[in-house]
Amino acid sequence: MKVEHYNAIMHKQMSRRKMLQGAASVGAIAAMGGIFPKQVAAGGHSAVRAEILKIPGVGAGSPTDADWQKVGDLCLGPTKERVAEGEFEGVELTFMGLNNQNLHNFLFRGFLKPWEAYTGAKINWVDLAQADYNPRLQQAIATGTVDFDLIEMGAPFEGDTAGKGLLDEMPAWVEEQIEADDLVSYLQAPVGTWDGKKYRVTIDGDCHTFCYRTDYFGAGAIGGASVPKTWQEVNAASKELIGKEDPLTGLPAHGYLDPLKGWGGFGFYFLENRAAAYAKHPSDPAWLFDPETMKPRVNNPAWVQAIQDVLDLIEAGAYPADQINADPGTTGFQQFLAGTGSMLMWWGDIGSNARTSDTSVVGDVVGFGINPGSDRVYNSQSGAWENTYNEAPNMAYLGWGVYVTKNVQGNEKKQKAAWSAAAHLGGKDISLWMSAYPSGFQPYRNSHFQYDEWEAAGYDRAYIEDYLGSNADSYNHENAAIEPRIPGIFQYYSVAEDELAKGYAGQYGSAQEIGDAIAAAWEKITDQIGRDSQIALYKASLGL
Amino acid sequence: MNTAGDLLHVVTADNISDQQRRFGKLIVLGSAALMFFVAGLQTADQNGWIDLGFETWRPTLYAYIFWGICLCAGQVIARGEHGKRTLFVLPAALFVVSMVVFPLLFGLIIAFSDWNLASPNGRQFNGWNNIRQMWADPFYWNAMRNMVWYSLAIIVEYAVAFALALLLNTQIKGRKFFRVAFLLPLMLSPVAVSWMIGKSMLENRFGPIARILREMGVENPSFFSSPEIARLMIMLMDAWTYIPFMMIMILAGLQAIPKELHEAAEVDGASAWTRFWEVTFPLMLPVSITAILIRIIFKLKLADIIINITSGGPGGATDSVTSFIFREYRDRSNVGYGTMLAMFYLVVIVIAMTILIKGADRWMRPRY
Repeated sequence: MKVEHYNAIMHKQMSRRKMLQGAASVGAIAAMGGIFPKQVAAGGHSAVRAEILKIPGVGAGSPTDADWQKVGDLCLGPTKERVAEGEFEGVELTFMGLNNQNLHNFLFRGFLKPWEAYTGAKINWVDLAQADYNPRLQQAIATGTVDFDLIEMGAPFEGDTAGKGLLDEMPAWVEEQIEADDLVSYLQAPVGTWDGKKYRVTIDGDCHTFCYRTDYFGAGAIGGASVPKTWQEVNAASKELIGKEDPLTGLPAHGYLDPLKGWGGFGFYFLENRAAAYAKHPSDPAWLFDPETMKPRVNNPAWVQAIQDVLDLIEAGAYPADQINADPGTTGFQQFLAGTGSMLMWWGDIGSNARTSDTSVVGDVVGFGINPGSDRVYNSQSGAWENTYNEAPNMAYLGWGVYVTKNVQGNEKKQKAAWSAAAHLGGKDISLWMSAYPSGFQPYRNSHFQYDEWEAAGYDRAYIEDYLGSNADSYNHENAAIEPRIPGIFQYYSVAEDELAKGYAGQYGSAQEIGDAIAAAWEKITDQIGRDSQIALYKASLGL
Repeated sequence: MNTAGDLLHVVTADNISDQQRRFGKLIVLGSAALMFFVAGLQTADQNGWIDLGFETWRPTLYAYIFWGICLCAGQVIARGEHGKRTLFVLPAALFVVSMVVFPLLFGLIIAFSDWNLASPNGRQFNGWNNIRQMWADPFYWNAMRNMVWYSLAIIVEYAVAFALALLLNTQIKGRKFFRVAFLLPLMLSPVAVSWMIGKSMLENRFGPIARILREMGVENPSFFSSPEIARLMIMLMDAWTYIPFMMIMILAGLQAIPKELHEAAEVDGASAWTRFWEVTFPLMLPVSITAILIRIIFKLKLADIIINITSGGPGGATDSVTSFIFREYRDRSNVGYGTMLAMFYLVVIVIAMTILIKGADRWMRPRY
């Protein structure tokens, strides 16, 4: 389902549930060529798409390198249309990316092996752990030692790279090959662009969605009759679950899983989830800083409430033992997927892993929704709480993309090879596979929301509507909390993690003191990087 | 052959002419001038005073290497056999200067700079600001305080290592096997230890140690939740890795003690404890002090286990200076401040180790 169609239905006051009930008939009409001509145009891909979605098949265990190569080979069509066999013979490219959960670069290797065999190019790999990524990139930029031709990078770093002229502009043929107009709207420009030039082959869309255990909620269930819809309800349910038994594992039951340990800056997104509902006012695009002064808002009443929520659960003993030592990787993969805890905010990986990863035990009892809302929202302009319901999905990280560095400039063959490799990874068909199976990436194209394809691949229709629906609802939410693309954003997050760790360990007197400490540290960073330039870039990233 | 000057051990007849001597000096001075000239040009280019299009500092490096070669050759040309003797040390000295002194100087420049990698302004000299920031940085001093605790744990480690060494020095069955077995933890990377033990065996839900404790009635066993227990667990894992190192040093010392001393004490009616306390322990002091000093140096570098398991938490309870600098430098790209913290820590280590070595030296000196 394309998002514009979805939006059109929403404008006609239909709920997502009602709309999804009619999804099958809509799909049938689309298949007949009735109302979605573009989807029919994409029908040439359909055989490939159906075939790759069966590799290895839902419930057939985690995909292997052989599967990735098979998928890469089947998706070579668009490359073959633009590149002759052996055209890049002798070209060597260096690709820097991540190795999280043995995904990312591990997949890329498999996907690109058939591409290497066909084109004759060779790729050298630089694998980085998530936490090492930011420093490695920053050091390369600052010391002028950008020693890679392709980089897997998030949009928040575009200010650091494109803004400093380190990237190669995307050729028009790449945009055509990857069918860039299929990207969901929030990933369209200005994301991926700088000064009007395009740089990014998007391979991921990011937002945090709410994952919950269906066996905890419902009539007679231990967590309550209905799934919590606000952070107030989330906290209440978490406290209610203390002392109860997990229906799946028989171990102690737990409610919401906050990661209380840092994750190289990425852990701060998880406090943002709570804070977004309180702090992201629909009338104001800013929620982290005051756009006119860069004065942090992290110590305003909204953020302090978010911190207080976590402190309340710590004090109540609602978290699993050792939670203070749990980072987001732990909460997502070692806890939630392994059957500990009943509520979690995470990227889409949880949805795609829940039923396809060997380590997941919750595939049959997991449900999805958007970031919980709040009964009240803080208005930074008026400095007062408003007692109205508010929700604000957190578009944490804006998704990964593949970028080509300026290293390839001056060598036409190498430049084309680099962009061809990037385009292969960002292709429309391969992206479907990446969003359906464990890859580290979540759906990011309008075409990813065609539920029939997922159903044909073996996914349970209700499950996939739930999972994909939570993504679509978040992407298209009118009050989405968008991450600012400003230099050093992870420095802010990292120092906040340190202060939060102290606060969660009881070293500050109150949530307000924690917020004040973070705000003071953020002010220092802003002054160090340069307040004026940060204000300008922050405003630009908010579209002000 | 020269007949004047220092003729001790001189075996070659060197008849060095004035012209040869002048040539030797000339190539040294000429290459030095060339090096300074190239370095000056590159500095001017780097600062934008002139535009020569240098992309890297390699020309200066090559000029330095050329000067080093000329300096060595000049010694032989101008000073004959005396020059050849110099060559035994000079290349090593030049290497040390290149690899230690220069980086240290550059490090000092960075330490007195405001250099955030994300800043568009690049590196800016900021005088004593980093020092002032350090004095007021609670995270740094918390890490320093933790280092005191970690270092004090060495006393216990030493006692355990001594006990194990005494055990392995006796005639027990399977002595060779135990010697190798006890050494195994030392062969493991601390990163492997942190994952195998900290992240797996001590995992609070499925880890085998947590399961055993749960079987024994401990409710929700957790190893890294409270500050004291988390710090203790880090100490234990670090101790497990490095006690074998102290043990093997002490064992070597024990085996060097002549058996006659113990036999004589035994004949004199000394008890086992008296033989240990009056004979073995005093004789082992030099080895013990050496082992402890080296262990302190290892301990002051403690970081990998902490970074992997707790990231310094909970609330900084397990943070070491190195793990904090790692976060400051790596996660926050705060290169100038991070370098200053490292430099200050280096100074503290040098002073502390000097005092310890002097103190140990005075303590061990025989008093008659």
